[in-house]
Amino acid sequence: MDETKRKVKKRLRNLQSLPTLPPVVTKLTKLLGDDNTTALQLAKVIEKDQVLTGKVLKMVNSAFYGFPRRISTVSNAIVLLGFNVIRTLVITASIFEMMQSEDLSLWEHSLGVAAAAGLLATKLEIPNPEEVTTAGLLHDLGKVVIRAEFPEYQRQIASLIKEEELYTREAESRVLGLDHGEIGRLLTNQWNLPERLIEPIAYHHEVEKARRFKKETAVVHFADIIIRAWGYGSGGDPWVPPLADKAWKLLRLKEKDLEELMPQLDDRLLDLRFFTMEMQGGGLDQNPPSQS
Amino acid sequence: MTKILLLSRNPRTSTWVEALQGAGFSVETKEDPKKMASEVLERLPDLLILEKSLAPELIADLIFALKENLNLAFLPILLILRETSDFEDELPIDDFFFESANGDEVAARVKLAFARTCRIADNNPLTGLPGNTSILKAIQQKIDSEEEVAFCYVDLDNFKPFNDRYGFARGDEILRLVARLLSNSVQFHAGHRGFVGHVGGDDFVFICPLESVEQICQEIIDSFDRLVPHFLDEEDLERGYFIAKDRRGQIQRFPFPSISIAVVPNYPGKFKHYGEVASVAAQVKKLVKQQPGSAYFIDRRRGPYQVSG
Repeated sequence: MDETKRKVKKRLRNLQSLPTLPPVVTKLTKLLGDDNTTALQLAKVIEKDQVLTGKVLKMVNSAFYGFPRRISTVSNAIVLLGFNVIRTLVITASIFEMMQSEDLSLWEHSLGVAAAAGLLATKLEIPNPEEVTTAGLLHDLGKVVIRAEFPEYQRQIASLIKEEELYTREAESRVLGLDHGEIGRLLTNQWNLPERLIEPIAYHHEVEKARRFKKETAVVHFADIIIRAWGYGSGGDPWVPPLADKAWKLLRLKEKDLEELMPQLDDRLLDLRFFTMEMQGGGLDQNPPSQS
Repeated sequence: MTKILLLSRNPRTSTWVEALQGAGFSVETKEDPKKMASEVLERLPDLLILEKSLAPELIADLIFALKENLNLAFLPILLILRETSDFEDELPIDDFFFESANGDEVAARVKLAFARTCRIADNNPLTGLPGNTSILKAIQQKIDSEEEVAFCYVDLDNFKPFNDRYGFARGDEILRLVARLLSNSVQFHAGHRGFVGHVGGDDFVFICPLESVEQICQEIIDSFDRLVPHFLDEEDLERGYFIAKDRRGQIQRFPFPSISIAVVPNYPGKFKHYGEVASVAAQVKKLVKQQPGSAYFIDRRRGPYQVSG
């Protein structure tokens, strides 16, 4: 297993680019073809894809572009990188050659967690709730890495989950020697992303490990659980992860808060459902995934 | 070692690579334009050689993104062309050679391209933006052509105490931030009709068409104010100010850095010489500086420049 872990870590260091979902790229290409498209419109779509969001943030935080560990939202990144750079980045994005239903449901899950995390952050008056939204979107980036880079291990993980009724992260640790949180941490750290994004991504299942951004981490942890319980999208296993005591204490949410939040989340998720359906409809017409 | 990235499917590629390696360069060859472009953005080489016909649009996009958005004017780009008619003068490239070129020629052209970029000493090393000589030239050219443009003089408020409190490395980040905001905004709204230069320190100049100046100034101010907190420490953000020494060495509270823009419109016949623009800008700057926080101020006087008494 140590051998596997070393192999995974090595592959992470040399990771070139992760694939994006075809419908997102189709939608962006359409926007880029229109001369009237604004940076804000582009940001709105990019923000709905964890891989592109990761790519944009990686670029703006890289040593070369000059703002290491500073920028944590897509809209700020676009202002700094400029339209032409974003354009080139989208055009050169690699796409999933075969889009599977699991990939789509992980995408929906991530969008749902982003929405819930944003609402919670606003409710709890955390400064810059937009950043917590981004952390929510990226929290399962490690799972995308496993699926895209290690399909053979992904199959083993999936069957372990099924046969032994394990949580995804338990199965990941057994097969790879590390879980998607750790993979997310290694990757986003290598990308120079700000600590306020790294901690919630790394520790969304282990809130007690967060040091500087405990509250943000607790928010993403709780948002993950809400969305899993809601049944919006899928994180790869059918079980809702346990709620950490520590997180619940950090958040200090009252029943009344939750009563107010739930209808808002319901609205937000409905909007997202329309968005993902539109994207899938539009994307699949023009870019049919190869069927097996 | 100097790294060259070569995009080519030309049968002569291997002889070019050999000659370049012989001249002491490290060469990486790519055949897929898309992969090449995404890699360039992630890991910049020192020089790019691109076979344009492999993906004309993508390559044009990439060249503009590098040279204009990211101020990488110093990154030499050479194109491989089929024939003279493939040449387009609007592409900001440094040189080209033909598919039939032999290894020696390619190596010579690459060496020349590096030598040439060393000679462009005018560009600011921190931001890559054109410096004083180019700025004065650009202003004089607009005066002579009597274009209705706005000359905009940008500087930061409380930048010196910021440097004192946070150190020069952080100060440099702020200057790069300003450079990016100016370039991107001017490029987006004015395209080739715009110009951005870096005088030095926290002084910048940009030129844009008069009709879009208010929109551009407002956008720059909004972006700057939104981004600057990311460059401050948590404790200062909570307090709402930072503590540093003032000019006389006294410890004092300072508001966070903000951006001031003095706008001097150019009307036909208003100015004869760039020196006149600078002196009007100095007057306008005093007015902008009186306002707290980020602001811009436009000089609305239309008449010809007069020496003020």
